[in-house]
Amino acid sequence: MAFLWQGPQTRFRVGRYVSRFVAVRGRGRFLALTFLCIGVYGWCLNPLHGLAEAPAALPAVQPPAATALAAPNHARAREMTAQIDQALAEAWLAAGIEPTIASDDAEFMRRIYLDLAGKIPSVAQSREFLSDTGANKRERLVDQLLASAICASHFANTWRDTLLLGTNPELRVSLPELESWLRLRFTANTPYNQLVAELVSSSSALPTRRGQPLAGTIPSPIAFFQANERKPESIAASLSSVFLGVQVECAQCHDHPFAKWKQEDFWSLAAFFRGLDGPTADNMMMVSLSDSFDRGGLKIPGTEMVALPKFLDGSVPTWRAEIGNRTALAQWMTHPQNPFFARAAVNRVWEQFFGKSLSAPADSVEAPDPRRAQLVEQLAEQFVATRFDLKQLMRGIALSRAYQLSSKVPTTDTDLTAQFACMPVRRMTADQLFDSLVQATGFYEAPPPRNAQPFQADSVRVDFRNKFAAEGRQRSENQTTIVQALTLMNGKLVGDATSVDRSKTLTAIRKIPFVDAKDRVDMLFLATLCRMPHDDETAEFLAYVKAGDQDGRLADVLWVLLNSAEFVSNH
Amino acid sequence: MSRLLKRLSDLSRSDRRRWMQLSAAGVLGGSMSGWLEALAAASNPAKRRGSCILLWMNGGPSQMDTFDLKPGTDNGGSFKDIDTTVSGVKISEHLPRLATHASDMAIIRSMTTKEGDHGRATTLVRTGYLPVGAIRYPTLGSLVAKELGHDDAELPNFVSIAPFRSLAPAAYGPGFLGPNYAPLVVGDGPSGGEGNSPVALKVENLALPDTVSPDSVDGRLSLLTAQNNRFIRERPAAAPHDVAYGRAVRLMRSAAAKAFELGEETDATRERYGKSKFGQGCLLARRLVERGVPFVEVTLSGVDNQVLGWDTHADNFETVKKLSGVLDPAWSALLDDLRAGGLLDSTMVVWMGEFGRTPKINPGGGRDHFPNAWSAVLAGGGIRGGQAIGRTSADGTTIEDRPVAVPDLLATICQALDIDPAKQNISNTGRPIGIVDSKAQPLAEIL
Repeated sequence: MAFLWQGPQTRFRVGRYVSRFVAVRGRGRFLALTFLCIGVYGWCLNPLHGLAEAPAALPAVQPPAATALAAPNHARAREMTAQIDQALAEAWLAAGIEPTIASDDAEFMRRIYLDLAGKIPSVAQSREFLSDTGANKRERLVDQLLASAICASHFANTWRDTLLLGTNPELRVSLPELESWLRLRFTANTPYNQLVAELVSSSSALPTRRGQPLAGTIPSPIAFFQANERKPESIAASLSSVFLGVQVECAQCHDHPFAKWKQEDFWSLAAFFRGLDGPTADNMMMVSLSDSFDRGGLKIPGTEMVALPKFLDGSVPTWRAEIGNRTALAQWMTHPQNPFFARAAVNRVWEQFFGKSLSAPADSVEAPDPRRAQLVEQLAEQFVATRFDLKQLMRGIALSRAYQLSSKVPTTDTDLTAQFACMPVRRMTADQLFDSLVQATGFYEAPPPRNAQPFQADSVRVDFRNKFAAEGRQRSENQTTIVQALTLMNGKLVGDATSVDRSKTLTAIRKIPFVDAKDRVDMLFLATLCRMPHDDETAEFLAYVKAGDQDGRLADVLWVLLNSAEFVSNH
Repeated sequence: MSRLLKRLSDLSRSDRRRWMQLSAAGVLGGSMSGWLEALAAASNPAKRRGSCILLWMNGGPSQMDTFDLKPGTDNGGSFKDIDTTVSGVKISEHLPRLATHASDMAIIRSMTTKEGDHGRATTLVRTGYLPVGAIRYPTLGSLVAKELGHDDAELPNFVSIAPFRSLAPAAYGPGFLGPNYAPLVVGDGPSGGEGNSPVALKVENLALPDTVSPDSVDGRLSLLTAQNNRFIRERPAAAPHDVAYGRAVRLMRSAAAKAFELGEETDATRERYGKSKFGQGCLLARRLVERGVPFVEVTLSGVDNQVLGWDTHADNFETVKKLSGVLDPAWSALLDDLRAGGLLDSTMVVWMGEFGRTPKINPGGGRDHFPNAWSAVLAGGGIRGGQAIGRTSADGTTIEDRPVAVPDLLATICQALDIDPAKQNISNTGRPIGIVDSKAQPLAEIL
C-alpha cells in the first residue's frame, strides 16, 4: 500500500478513486481504505460522482426512500405496463413473430442508467446491482433512478435537444438558461402540462450588461424563442411537432399532400406568435419577451390571404381581455381534453426509451397501425389521470416486457425492431457518450470561470458535443462518422484516459493491490461495458495482457473497450 | 410490410453484407507498422467517373458586382466591367484572371427563386428542395457521392472544406441517405467556421498520439475487431460503427491521405491559389479530386475573420472587392491546374450562393437579399463553356430571357456528371424522392 503515502496529491487521486471499484461486499481492507478516503476528503467533494449515488462502501442495499416528490401512485404505472404488454403481445401474435429473449441484468442495468441517468453506472453501482439478490430489483432500480437528481439533468439535456433541433447554433448562446430552467422544473417534478404551458406563454426578461445577456444567470424558457429567432412560423412548427405530434410545417408552403392540414391551418397556428419582435441590429439577443394582446393575423406568404389565430382542431379562441395570445394557446394545448397533447407526450417518451415513437407521425405514408394507435390512446388517458406525471409514464414503460427484451436478435432477416420485439441498438447522444466516457475514465474538467461565455470552444465537453451532435431526428439514424471514430481513437479524451501516466481509472485498476490480472481485466469490463467478460473474452484479453508489459497492455484493453461498438451504443 | 420497413431491413442486410466484406478484407486487421506508406493500391483510374467541386458563396453573392454588371446605370454601382476571352461576355474588373477562363465557363444570369431567407434559400439551393416537414433532404454532395463514389475508396467520397453551417445545418448533411454519405468536414471552427482564422485544413486526430507505438496499435485493432465481431454477430444493427472505424483506419493508413498535406506543394503553387483559407481550400480540392474523390465543396465565408461576408447589406463594394481578391486567384488556379492535369473535362466546377443581391443600392451603400434574378457559374465537366445563359433587364430587377430554377441547374450538373437526375432514393418517410425534382429541365444548350 506504499502508493497511498506518496504525498497528498497521489493519495487524493488514487484514494478517492479506488473506492469506485470496490464491491459492496468488498474485501475488508478496502472498506477500511475507502472509509479513510471518505473521512479525509468527504464523499460529496467528489466531482466524478453522480449526485444520487450512494457511497459504494455502504454495506447493504437500501431500498429507496419514498420522497414527497415521488409519492407513489404506482397503480397507474402498473396498469400502463400491463396495457403495453398486452397490446404488444397481441401485435406479435398477429404478425407471427417471436420476440427475442429477455435482457439479462447487466444489459438491462446499463440501458436503464443511460435512459434515466444519461450515463453508464459506475463500477460500484454495477457491482451493487449485479450482486443484489432481493426481489423486484429492477423495479427498485427504476424507482431509485427516477428519484435521483442526475435524472433531472439528463431530462433537461434530452428536452433541450428536442426543443432546439434544427435551430441556429449561433443563437444557442442562451442555452444555459433553457437547460437550467428545464432542470429546475424536472427536479421539482413539475407536471408536464404545467411545464409546457409555462414554456409556451413565458414572459420574462433576461438580465443584461451593455445590451448583452448575462450568460447563464437566471433560468428561463425564453431561450427557446430566441433560438427560433422569434419567427412565428419556426416557433409554431417546432411546438406543434414536439408537443402536439403534428408536423404541420409541411403545410407552410402548400396544402399537405397526405394529411388534412391546410396551409391556412399552419399560418393560423403561427398567428398566435405574431408580434414577437425579431432581432434588431442593436438587440441581437432579444433579451425580453412579453405576451401579445394583438389578435391580428399573419399574411400567408405569396398569397393575399390573412390567417387569423386558430387552433389546430379548427376552433377559434374565445378571447378574454386579460388573456394574451400565447397564454390562450398554452391553455388549449395543455388541456386534458386536447386530442393531440397527451398522445404526443406518450410518443415522445416512448421514443426516448425505444429510439422511435410508438405510432407513426401524422405525415407518414405508413398507415397508422390501429392496435398501436389504441395503445397510445390508453397510455395517454393514464398519463392524464396521473396529472401528467412523466415519471409514472416512464415507470410504466421501463417495466414493460418490451423494454426489458434483449437487443440480441436471432439470425433471421425478420425485422423485430419494427414491432418492438427486440430492443434496437441506439447510438448514444453526444451528452450520454461524453458523460459515460467521464464515468468510465475519471476525466475531470474544471468548470469555466464565472464570467466566461458559455460554449467556449476550448472546453473539452463543448468540442466533443460539437463533434458528436446528432443531425438525425431519430436516435436510430444517428451513426458514427469518420471524424467521430478518429476522435475516439486518437483524440485527447480517450488518449489521456488510456495513458499509463495520466489516466485515473487505469491508475486505480493498475495499482489496486492483492488482485491478479484477471481481476484487473474484470474491472475494466465493469468500468466500460458494465458487465463481466465472457469466458472467451477473458481468455483472449488475459493472454494479451500477460504477453507483455502489463501496464501498457491494460491501457490497450481499456482503449479497445472504449472504442467498441458495445461501449458507444445504448443497447 | 410497408416499403419503409422493407427498406430498413434491406439496409441492415446490406450493412451486414458490407461489414462482412470489410471484415473479410481485414479492414481493422493488417499491420499499422507501415504508416503512411502506400499499402493499398490507389483507386483504379479505370473506374474513375466524374467529380464535382462546389465553390459555395455563403451569404448570397452580388450578381451585379461579379458576373452581371450594369455599369453606368442607377443600380450599377462603382464597378467597371472588363472584356473576357469570349467576345461579348463581360465580368467584373475585380476578377481579371478569371476573365481569361471565360471559354471554360457557362455564366447563368437568370437564376430565379422565391426564397429570400438565408436558411430556406440555402436549403433550396443546396438540396434542390424546400424544407418540408419530416423529409430530410440530402445535400448535393451526398447525392453525388452516392452515385459516383466507391465504398472501398481510400478517401471519403465527399469532403466539405470550411463550411459555415449555422444558417441551415441540415442543408450540409446527408439527410435520409444516412451517415454513409456524410461529408468528411475539415477546417470548420467550433461553430461551423470562423471566417479566415488560420485553421489547418487537416483531418483532426488523423495521426496516432505520440504516446502510442504503431506496434501496440496493431494489437489494439485486432482486439477491437474481435470484440466488435462478437457484438455485431448478435446485433447486426451495430455494424455501421465498425464500417466507420474501418474507413477511419483506412484513412489513417492511406497514402491518399497525403492529399491533406498541403506542404507537399511548392510555395509558388500555394501563392498562386492565395494564402487565404478559401485559396488553400481550392488547392486541397484539386488534390482530392486528383485522387478520385467525387465531390468536394469549398466555402468562401468572408475575409478578415468575417462570416457571411457576401451578405453585404452595408458597404457592399469594398467587401465584394476584397472577396473577389480572394476568389479570383483561387478559382483561376484551380481551373489552370485541372486543365494541366487533364481533369477539367471530367470535373464540374460550380460557383453559387443561396441568392443574389438587390440591384437597388440601399442608403448604407449595401445591397439586400434578392432571389428574383441572380447568377451562378458552371465550368469544366465537359459542358459547352464560353457562353452566358439568360439575360436580366437593364436595371437588373427582372429576367428578360431564359429563367432558370434551382432544380434546372442541379439537373444540368447531374447530367454533366452522367447521373440520371430522375433516379429516386427512398426517403426517411418512405416516399421515393428524385435526386432532382421531376419538374427540372436541364439546360440543353450547355450540355
